[in-house]
Amino acid sequence: MSVIKNIGAIAKGMSITFGEMLQPTTVENYPDGPGPLKGAQFQERFRGTHVLQRDENGLEKCVACFLCAAACPSNCIYIEAAENTAEQRISGAERYAKVYNIDYNRCIFCGYCVEACPTDAITHGHGFESATFNASALVYRKEQMLSPTPAHMGSNSVFNHADVEAGAPALPQAGS
Amino acid sequence: MADLTLTVDGKKLTAPAGTLLIEACKSVGIEVPSFCYYPNLSLQGACRMCLVKIEKMPKLQTACTTVISEGMVVATDSDEVRQARKSMVELLLGNHPLDCPVCDAGGECELQDMAFSYGAAESKFMEAKNHKDEQQWSPVVYFDRPRCILCYRCVRVCGEGMDVWALGVQNRGVSSVIAPNKQDHLECEECGMCIDICPVGALTSGAYRYKTRPWEMNHIGTTCTHCADGCKTTLGVRRSDTGMEIVRGDNRDKSGINNDFLCIKGRYAFDFAHSTERLTQPLIRKDGKLSPATWEEAFALAGKNFAEIRTAHGGEAIGVVGSSRTTNEENYLLSKFARMVLGTNNVDHHRTADFPALAAALRGKSGQTASMRDVLSAPAILLIGNNPTEQHPLLAWQIRSNVRLRRAKLYVVNSQPIKLRRQAAGFAQIPAGAEAHAVAFLAGDDAALDHLVHQSATRESLLALRDKLRAETGLVVAFSSEIRGADVARLVHSKFAGAKFIALADYANSRGAADMGLYPDLLPGYEPLTTDSRFAQEWGTLPTVPGLTVPAMAAAAKAGTLKALYVVGANPVARFGLDPFAFSGSFVVVQDMFLTETALMADIVLPAANAYEKSGTFTNTCGDLQLVKKAGEVAGVKSDFEMIVRIADAMGFEVRKLVPFGGGTHADMGQSRGAQSGEADRHSVWLEAHGLEPRMSPFDPVAIFDEIQRLVPSYHVSRLDLLAGNDQHTDIGEAGPGAAHDPNLIIPANDDLFSSGTLGRYSHTLNSVMENKNAPAPSEVGAD
Amino acid sequence: MFFSDEFEARFADMLTHYPTRRSTLVPTLLYAQDEIGYLSDEVVAELAQRLDLNELEVRNVISYYSMLVTKPRGKYNIQVCTNIACMLKGGEELLDHCKHKLGIGHKETTPDGEFSLEEVECIGACSWAPAIQVNYDFHENLTVQKMDEVLDDYKKKGGEIL
Repeated sequence: MSVIKNIGAIAKGMSITFGEMLQPTTVENYPDGPGPLKGAQFQERFRGTHVLQRDENGLEKCVACFLCAAACPSNCIYIEAAENTAEQRISGAERYAKVYNIDYNRCIFCGYCVEACPTDAITHGHGFESATFNASALVYRKEQMLSPTPAHMGSNSVFNHADVEAGAPALPQAGS
Repeated sequence: MADLTLTVDGKKLTAPAGTLLIEACKSVGIEVPSFCYYPNLSLQGACRMCLVKIEKMPKLQTACTTVISEGMVVATDSDEVRQARKSMVELLLGNHPLDCPVCDAGGECELQDMAFSYGAAESKFMEAKNHKDEQQWSPVVYFDRPRCILCYRCVRVCGEGMDVWALGVQNRGVSSVIAPNKQDHLECEECGMCIDICPVGALTSGAYRYKTRPWEMNHIGTTCTHCADGCKTTLGVRRSDTGMEIVRGDNRDKSGINNDFLCIKGRYAFDFAHSTERLTQPLIRKDGKLSPATWEEAFALAGKNFAEIRTAHGGEAIGVVGSSRTTNEENYLLSKFARMVLGTNNVDHHRTADFPALAAALRGKSGQTASMRDVLSAPAILLIGNNPTEQHPLLAWQIRSNVRLRRAKLYVVNSQPIKLRRQAAGFAQIPAGAEAHAVAFLAGDDAALDHLVHQSATRESLLALRDKLRAETGLVVAFSSEIRGADVARLVHSKFAGAKFIALADYANSRGAADMGLYPDLLPGYEPLTTDSRFAQEWGTLPTVPGLTVPAMAAAAKAGTLKALYVVGANPVARFGLDPFAFSGSFVVVQDMFLTETALMADIVLPAANAYEKSGTFTNTCGDLQLVKKAGEVAGVKSDFEMIVRIADAMGFEVRKLVPFGGGTHADMGQSRGAQSGEADRHSVWLEAHGLEPRMSPFDPVAIFDEIQRLVPSYHVSRLDLLAGNDQHTDIGEAGPGAAHDPNLIIPANDDLFSSGTLGRYSHTLNSVMENKNAPAPSEVGAD
Repeated sequence: MFFSDEFEARFADMLTHYPTRRSTLVPTLLYAQDEIGYLSDEVVAELAQRLDLNELEVRNVISYYSMLVTKPRGKYNIQVCTNIACMLKGGEELLDHCKHKLGIGHKETTPDGEFSLEEVECIGACSWAPAIQVNYDFHENLTVQKMDEVLDDYKKKGGEIL
């Protein structure tokens, strides 16, 4: 009896295998897929490299309140603040971040900084291609993390300058 | 006063009659929230946050203005009270902008805390907020009208506390606004007390503006490096690309002798440390030009030349000038280095008060010197000469507070109508330069009266003043540097019952420099140069012939007998008006932060750390000993302590004899005692306090402090108290016999509120305030 | 310095009425304003010095009272009451009429310096509402026509003196 039982079990198992063989493939064809995303598909909530967003006027949303640095459990955010002047206006409020660095050697992509931000200036984008042979290249400067486009050109950006330079699309794409 | 018993939230408590309810609650740990109430300022009752329910009273009462009474039953946490607080916060937030992320007070804002504890998350109000643009009232004071909650603390601290009255309230009702005295800007002492006391971010500091956030800084309590009052200042530091940057100074924890007081210098003038003109590399004169060199080259050259000159010409061919802004340990070490290593008594510093004369006059009489705390509690104070408002801001604050809060009597004898006369019970304006006659008269010499009668000071008024002074018990006498030599003794021996004395010097550690023996004829503790002194026993054979003073060194250099000069943190060329070419034939080594007039003529310039960048102790003009802790850090400089030791080493001297390091117990820093949080810290504090901590480095000032405590009797103070951050009074009456000096060697620094010797020249803040235009020219104050 | 003998006499008398000098500040400010027309910087400095106050304290008091002004106003200061009694009887219309006729708004002055206009709270003439006060004189039970007459009268008066 046990033989029949075992054959039955194998047949049941293989039926799933053969059944799935006939289904269309759902494997993502990254990086050989079509389009600017090279076949990558993102969940909206995916937490990739950060994007420092700009407001409708193209000004930086970050006001250098240091709350992200305070919330960061791995202490990877470094900020230096400065005051906007009438001649040189960087952010919408009185002050802006003169220096804003995130050390991706340490970042654990927990999202606390995004939670802490009172101006929705920092968001997790969808960039993930940050691998490098040089650890110091993983300290991203503000210029690398800024959104390439202001908010009125679509909703929040999901790829920052560094990602765009590496080939990601500047404007939000379907699936990104 | 009789004690009254009352019940607060079911707890029985007793407090003296006259206590405010809010204070009585605080004494048993019940917090009643408030904005406008501030201890030691007049009562306002403006913010209505401290409303509490008192039984048998129909409405809620303000705890900050209610005096306790017998049998009172108070509820501070009932539903009604909580609801009232919630509404008050809601009303305050009605017009308060929600710009906490960009507000400098964010993170240490009392309104934030209150909203968090008592406030409602949502507001009923839908009206637009009344916006006004931010105003700049002075380089250091910014005012943001919408953030103001009208607690009037700033108005009161400026008027009552500082006696400046530069802030007022204009308009009424909801349009009330804090206004500066010059309509659109402030003209005041720029002390920043209003900013410090502001519970919200309405008044913010121009120096700290937008630099960082409170939680981003480390806070280090150290002693101010400017005037001789020795305020404790808590420096906020933040890591920068060249070390640690000092971004803020305040004393919000109210520790230290100054409570929460600081003047402009203590609060803002730390910025000289980050001046771009700061030296960060040793300089050696090559082909007539000072050019950058390595530390090894510089020490080797200095050591070689000093050793050669000492061997060839003897120690008397070398002169040493110390500083009144270096720590006690450094001054002691320099004194020891000169006598032991260089073999010379040619040691001097810029003297700004006659401490040796005071030591001589009080010899063997302990308890006759006043500490800065005594000034706040003394029943009567006599001030002869000086203008503390400008030169000793903390002394002036202590006097004002004492007069205001304890009704002390202040007597002022001065040649100028100084501002403190407004607090004085007796004021005598004497002719300029007649301070010595005034002392003679106070001591009982009526013949001196002829020199004093002047303007409003008639014979009768002066005699009446003296009678009043003689009737006072527990008088504190603070006297200026015009009182020197025999006059000090005359003053000390005048018939004032139980009087305590303060000699007013000008620099942060002027007293320490004197105590540590930076004199050509005195060893540390005002000991004379005898062969059997305890220093000779400890240090070995010392030269016993008195050495040269600074002017005599210049003369000797000109004559060719002084072959080398070693200047540590001083600027004798500017201060004593010396001819810089006098030293052109000598080998000159200067340790300083900047290229001063003296450094410019040096053969070797060594970049020094300032008092905010090293540890040690300072002694203020009253003799209060306090810790100096390392706060800032600038790459490329060394402490004077390390440089002295390294030069001794380069001269081939056995460093262990100079700095007794490496003693103590085995090197247990607490690691063997388990990893419980804080245990290693506590253990090391205990070891340090009991002198057991191993001084493992020759650059450890504590090793020298051990020796100071062992050999200088007036420094026998509680080490544990000192390490805990408290001030310890050193009694000059317990020191050695002192000496008589040429009174002309005392040169007042002439600094006012907005100047501070060499440091003041490089402080951006001090130079940016408009009141500074009346300050003396740098050349007149250019000193340590 | 630049005050009349009458002012000086009043000032001296006033000092005897109060225990401290500073208590005389408000009446003294009113007298000075009546004489000079407004409280200029010189007046503030002078009175501060006379009463042992600092200028800021004097300014604080001036800013508290709406009848004390620091800028020149017209020779005739027309104060129209719009509190409840006057409002019900047409005070608001009177104010609008004055604004239209004089071409100025609340707390403004005509270019020739003759009139200034002010909307005020109750002036205690509710029984004869609507009422206005011109400097220290009252005009009561007004209508728009009566208002015209009053204004014309003052215009004529002003012309005569000038």
